[in-house]
Amino acid sequence: MERVIAFFYCQNTPSSTETDRQMLEKKYGKNIRLFPIPCSGRLEPVHILRALESFTDAAYLITCPEGTCRYFEGNLRARKRVIRAQQFITAIGLEKERAGIYMRSAGNTKKLSEIVEELFEIASKLPPSPVFRYSEREV
Amino acid sequence: MITAEQKPIDEIRKMIAPYKRILVLGCASCVAECAAGGEKETAMLASTLRMAARMNQEDVVIQEKTLERQCVKDFVILLDDILDNYDAILSLGCGAGVQAVADMYEDIPVIPALNTEFIGETKDQGLWVENCLGCGDCMLYYFGGVCPLARCSKHLLNGPCGGSKDGRCEVNPDIPCAWQLIIDRLSRFNALDRLEEIYPPKDWSKKQGKGPRKIIREDQQK
Repeated sequence: MERVIAFFYCQNTPSSTETDRQMLEKKYGKNIRLFPIPCSGRLEPVHILRALESFTDAAYLITCPEGTCRYFEGNLRARKRVIRAQQFITAIGLEKERAGIYMRSAGNTKKLSEIVEELFEIASKLPPSPVFRYSEREV
Repeated sequence: MITAEQKPIDEIRKMIAPYKRILVLGCASCVAECAAGGEKETAMLASTLRMAARMNQEDVVIQEKTLERQCVKDFVILLDDILDNYDAILSLGCGAGVQAVADMYEDIPVIPALNTEFIGETKDQGLWVENCLGCGDCMLYYFGGVCPLARCSKHLLNGPCGGSKDGRCEVNPDIPCAWQLIIDRLSRFNALDRLEEIYPPKDWSKKQGKGPRKIIREDQQK
C-alpha cells in the first residue's frame, strides 16, 4: 500500500521556493503533500490531526534551528504543539511517530528536498495508517 | 472565568459509544480562554474521535459546532434547526453549559467532554490559577484584594498561620502565602487596621445547603 506523507514547512527552510515545491511534487507525485507556512509557529495541533484524519499516514513539521526563528519563538511553540497532537493520537492507539517535528540544528543547511527525502524514508517504514484500513482517503 | 480540562479520550469514547450521530459542541467563552473547549479544541477532539471511529470500523457520524455560549439560552437556541440530525451531544462546555443545553433539549443526551475545575484567572499563557470560591459574600475589601478562602491552603480568615516561610506556603511551597500577600498589599494602602477585626467563620448556611443559588435582577428581566 502506498504511503502519503504530509510536510508542513517553514518558508525559511533553505531552497523551499515555489519552484522547489513543484519539483518535489513532481518527483513524489501523490505520495507527498507539501504545506509551506510563513513560520512553523503558525501550525496548530488541529492541522496535524486533520491531515492524519483525512489523507496522510504521517505528518511532519520542518522548522528553523532553535534560536533562529525570524519570529523569535515560533519553532519553540511549534514543538509543543506537535507534542500536543502526539498526545491525542497516542490516546486512540496511533503511533506517536505519525506526528513529528524536524528542527534543523544550527549549521544544518540541508535543502528542503534533502529533509523531505530523509523523513520520507523514515515515514515509509511505518505501517499504513489504520485510519484508512476500512475507509478511503478524503483527498 | 470558569476553567476546565478535557476528560481522557478513553472516558469520552466510552460515554459516546452507544450513539451513532454525535454533535461535538464547543463553547467560545470561558472554556475557550482556558484552551479546553473553544473552537480549536472542539475541532481537535472531533477529529480525533472520527479517526478512532474509522480505525475501529464504527459506523458513526461525528460533526462539530461551537456556540458563543452554552450557558445562555439565546445562543443555545441556535441548535434548534440542526439537532434532528444527531442522537447525542458531546459538550465541551463547563458544567453549567452542559446542563443549560440538556435543560433545553430534554430528548437528547448531553455528555460532558470536560472536567470543570474552578473559577480563576489567566495568570500567564497556559497558566490558570484558582482565586475565587464564589462564596456569595465577598470580603476582598478587608483582605486587600487577595482572597484567603481561595488562596490560603488553610482557608484562614484570621491569618497568617505559623507556617508561612519566606513568603511561601508551608502546605505547598510552590504557591505564595496568601496572608503574606494580604499583609503586603494592606501595608501599601496603610490599611492594616482592617486586620484588627476578628472575622468570624463564614456562615455558609446562608449561601449553601439550600440547593442551587440564583440571582434575580428585575431590571434585567423582560
